[in-house]
Amino acid sequence: MITTKNQKLKMALTSTPMILIYVMVVFCLIAAIRQPAFISPATAINLGRAGIFTMCFAICEMVVIISGGIDVSFPAIGCVAMYVPMYMYYHEMLPDNAVVFFLLSMFIGLVFGILNGVLVSYLRLPPLIATLATSSIASGGLVMALGTREFTTLPPSLQSLYEINMITYMDPATGFTYPLTVLFLVPVILCVVMALVLRYTMLGRGLYAIGGDQNAARIAGFNVRRLQFFSYIFCGVMTGATALIYTTLMHSSTTTAIMGEEMIIIAACVVGGCRLTGGHGGVGGTVLGVLLITLVQNNLNMLGIPTCWQTFAVGLVLLLGAIMTSIQAKRQAKLGKV
Amino acid sequence: MSGKEARLKKTGRGLPVIGRDSHVLSIIGLMILVCIIMMLLKPESYFTGLNLRSMIFQFPEYGVLALGMMACMIAGGIDLSLVGIMNLTGVLAALIVKNTIIIENGVVTNPGMVVPIIVLACVVAVVVGGACGAFNGFIIGYFGLPAMLVTLCGLQLYTGLAYGITGGPAINGMCDAFKNIANGTIPGIGIPWVLLIFIAVLAVVVFIMKCTVFGHEIYFLGSNAQAAMYSGINTMRVTVMTYMFSGILGGISGILITSHLNSAKSSNGSTYTLLSLLIVVLGGVHPDGGRGRVIGVVLAVLLLQMIANAFGVMYLDDNAKTFANGCLLVAALVLSVVMDKRAAKKAAAQS
Amino acid sequence: MSDEVFLKLEGIKKSFGGVHALKGVDLEIRKGEIHCLAGENGCGKSTLIKAISGVHDADEGSIWIDGEKVEKMKPMDAINRGIQVIYQDFAVFPNLTVAENIALNGELKNKQKFVNWKSIHEIAAKAMAQVGADIDPDVKLERLSVANKQMVAICRAIINDAKLLILDEPTTALTAREVDKLWDIVRSLKAKGIAIMIVNHKLDEIYRIADRLTILRNGAYVSSGPISEYDQARFTRDMTGHDVSEDKYHPEEQKEEILRVENLSRKGAFENVSFTLHKGDVLGLTGLLGSGRGEIGEALFGIAPAESGKIVLNGKEITIKSVADAIANDIGYVPEDRLTQGLFMDRSIQDNTIASSIRRYMKGGRLDEQAMEDVTRRWIDEIGIVAPSPKPAVRTLSGGNAQKVVIAKWLNTEPKLFILDGPTVGVDIGAKAEIHAILHDLAQRGIGIIVISDDLPELVQNCNKIVVMRDGKVAASIDNSIDERSLSDLLIGAEKQEGDKK
Repeated sequence: MITTKNQKLKMALTSTPMILIYVMVVFCLIAAIRQPAFISPATAINLGRAGIFTMCFAICEMVVIISGGIDVSFPAIGCVAMYVPMYMYYHEMLPDNAVVFFLLSMFIGLVFGILNGVLVSYLRLPPLIATLATSSIASGGLVMALGTREFTTLPPSLQSLYEINMITYMDPATGFTYPLTVLFLVPVILCVVMALVLRYTMLGRGLYAIGGDQNAARIAGFNVRRLQFFSYIFCGVMTGATALIYTTLMHSSTTTAIMGEEMIIIAACVVGGCRLTGGHGGVGGTVLGVLLITLVQNNLNMLGIPTCWQTFAVGLVLLLGAIMTSIQAKRQAKLGKV
Repeated sequence: MSGKEARLKKTGRGLPVIGRDSHVLSIIGLMILVCIIMMLLKPESYFTGLNLRSMIFQFPEYGVLALGMMACMIAGGIDLSLVGIMNLTGVLAALIVKNTIIIENGVVTNPGMVVPIIVLACVVAVVVGGACGAFNGFIIGYFGLPAMLVTLCGLQLYTGLAYGITGGPAINGMCDAFKNIANGTIPGIGIPWVLLIFIAVLAVVVFIMKCTVFGHEIYFLGSNAQAAMYSGINTMRVTVMTYMFSGILGGISGILITSHLNSAKSSNGSTYTLLSLLIVVLGGVHPDGGRGRVIGVVLAVLLLQMIANAFGVMYLDDNAKTFANGCLLVAALVLSVVMDKRAAKKAAAQS
Repeated sequence: MSDEVFLKLEGIKKSFGGVHALKGVDLEIRKGEIHCLAGENGCGKSTLIKAISGVHDADEGSIWIDGEKVEKMKPMDAINRGIQVIYQDFAVFPNLTVAENIALNGELKNKQKFVNWKSIHEIAAKAMAQVGADIDPDVKLERLSVANKQMVAICRAIINDAKLLILDEPTTALTAREVDKLWDIVRSLKAKGIAIMIVNHKLDEIYRIADRLTILRNGAYVSSGPISEYDQARFTRDMTGHDVSEDKYHPEEQKEEILRVENLSRKGAFENVSFTLHKGDVLGLTGLLGSGRGEIGEALFGIAPAESGKIVLNGKEITIKSVADAIANDIGYVPEDRLTQGLFMDRSIQDNTIASSIRRYMKGGRLDEQAMEDVTRRWIDEIGIVAPSPKPAVRTLSGGNAQKVVIAKWLNTEPKLFILDGPTVGVDIGAKAEIHAILHDLAQRGIGIIVISDDLPELVQNCNKIVVMRDGKVAASIDNSIDERSLSDLLIGAEKQEGDKK
């Protein structure tokens, strides 16, 4: 089959990332027509803020999905990781130090990451069920051990972290200010680092390799178990850090704060081109997926959809996204072999 | 019939229900273990009629869900949307009952309408459940997407529908007749209605899985989808029917939980997804599909209820139960992996 | 070719759980030769490869590489000593690009931590130049044809300074042209001094490429020597343990027509295919891969229906648009890949036997368990499935027995036309003969039998009519008076090729 330049261009214009961009542009246009105020730096800043932890979680999940697994335990792990440091601080078991809080959160993430890693890569359990089990161990164990409280005031060190802003935009019409926190840099750095790791290190290529064909990876000499193990540990540690960012930004730490987020995150990855069978996807697509989901989640009212129907609308977007990936895969297959 | 033939028949069949299934035996062993532990710890409050009654009123709603999960998993898939279907159908049934059976000052104003309306609510719940399931099955079969992804989307969709319909707050205060489906007993005999319903559902499920073409096709599909296609089985139809079957069970469960709590909202029973997965895996259904038996799943339901009540009489809360369930799920999985490995070794040694 | 020995095995024994897979195998491979390892299925070829590549540790015997005795070889040791194996599935990454597939293993071997894309492209370009491959290095492997995937696997093997390249059944999934290209590459590698071992059991291919030949049977060494020392009779004798049987299948001439296919076409697969099948006939359908032989079977069974043409079964014109149509018209089909397409490995013999005819056992609204068991027992007796009862899982059966279960599944639907694609692949000799006897018996009883196969001796002996396919068209319709060599020539269109050369 000869691919002419025209065909190549056509393929590029109808590729998954481009379709995501079209959808977002259309969405923004409609929102802008209904509410001209939508087009303003304020919207961008709000979007950036809202997307911070979604983005971080999505990168974690993406790494696991690329390696051929899945992790549905990160919301539970995140709840433990945000609750325990606050609990210990308010029971005067921890000093007020942001570094200590973050280290503890990441350590908690590490412990559960190791648990997932052992279950999946060493005991060879199906990842979905194994991480579901981890999820209930984490959330059940947390409440059992420490009860349910709600922490809504931050320790001073986290409060001051919260107050560091990169940009502050003031809407000239309303006088409201829209600050963009410095924590926005975390997902940005994470994305850049992971994009580099996935593309330019043997570790990254190994993750793709084991996601593509485990047996071939083993023959080639990749340490399949260690790579799987890495993906779950990475996911655990970053989940821990992200959970504390959540607490800092939302001024909230409860035992169930982010439970149920796994759906949105996995869907963002899938919409962004990760295949649940492993080996496919990348940072670029995932960023687009997260952008789309965040845009939809936070601005549905701009399209005139009442709040109580938003869960349904998000579900619909996810389903359509999943179907689109299937259609794209079929189109690829139709192109024929070379 | 000669003596030899008779003997062959006897040993070949084993005990009619339990058979010679090591998995089933180990669940029964665990049940006995729970009994022994409770005998030692708190016999006075565990082995009571009251406790037995409370068990019977609790397990049917998630037991029915687990049967749906079982069908999907045997077919090589998974149904994570069951809780969504349960809540959606529960909300619909509650709305019908609440809006058509009018209660004024604690008295039903239209008593003649009560039974038909409740029947209507149940039919609507079952039909909507079946439709949701069929939708799942269609998307899975037609687009070839992983069942896990589609049913996760389904969960969001159906929960979202329920949320949109209710607008958020729970629907409470249905009439007594509706409440009695899951809370009442047969007058005079004292057997809970809900137990009868569960047994009836169970009988139907057993019949379908064992004695119908569809049941066998579920096993064939889960065992090897491609071979099923080459054997002339319409895999698309079987997929849709399997998820529809699961959705119908979700609908029945929706009626039970709504009646039990006398309240319907979009976020009831959120732990039931994990619970039904746990039951199914514990009951010996293989996560890759094709293998599993109803009897194992039913015993696993009973075992988990026994454990739950054991936690109850020890004054441990739900979170302890969640924690224990998670540990149990890991243990069950590890056990099945170990058993698989041993069986594979044995087979290798024999061939 | 030099006489210097690169690899020498002596008395290699290996058993798995009491089963002797290798019972003392000797093998000698010289530098720069093309050596063929032949033997029937299950003779221990793949176990031997795994012993050479260090995947399995031999229980007894010794291995010399380049004159040096090697103990306890690990896969990495074998690679470091220049032994590269290309398995049947190539062990490539479908989601990575061609360049990466070629270069990644080498980078990994050199313990690289980072990926230098420039050098990966350079390595890939160099390797491809060496074998004369021309594939876009940035295409993902899942988009390549089987032949090109194999090319990538060969490129990957030779960049690591290979001295011995082992190809496991390299031609099974290649078309005639692709096989020619592969042999060209193999010869050019040989010219560079690389020894090549090809696992193959097709005589015609072996004659075209090999210098020397080693034959295994039942895990034991049988004979070895230059290809010139083997004629067809000796080859068959050494492979199977007995002489070529001359009793071919000859049914009585019958006029009663069972199946007539006229001008059957499907774009890109086959065109204007016509043949007729009479009562008592076993029709062989053969051709190289890509000739359309398998596709015709799939069309008759409705998996990939024909687009035009006429199918007349027992005097009635039928249309087949789906598998359901085929089954409704009493057509049975044993697929090529028994494991993935034919069997439910975890289900019992009984479940497998009734899988396609289950609807018959609905009685009074439920399945009649007893009837299903009885019918399975009947088939176990009738076609000689070796099993204690209908209950064991098919996984526990041998290849031949498992294939008989697939046959039983279709016989239980009482087919009028029975199509078998590769019915004896991976079946041992005894079971093979039994399966052929079953087919002859069925044909005599008036069931139309079509055997799709590339096993030429099998076709010549067991089919009384042979349809040869080439490039999607019927190249010849002949009876079984033909010998294997002429049939092989027909398959590849040899006259034409020779004419071209002159």
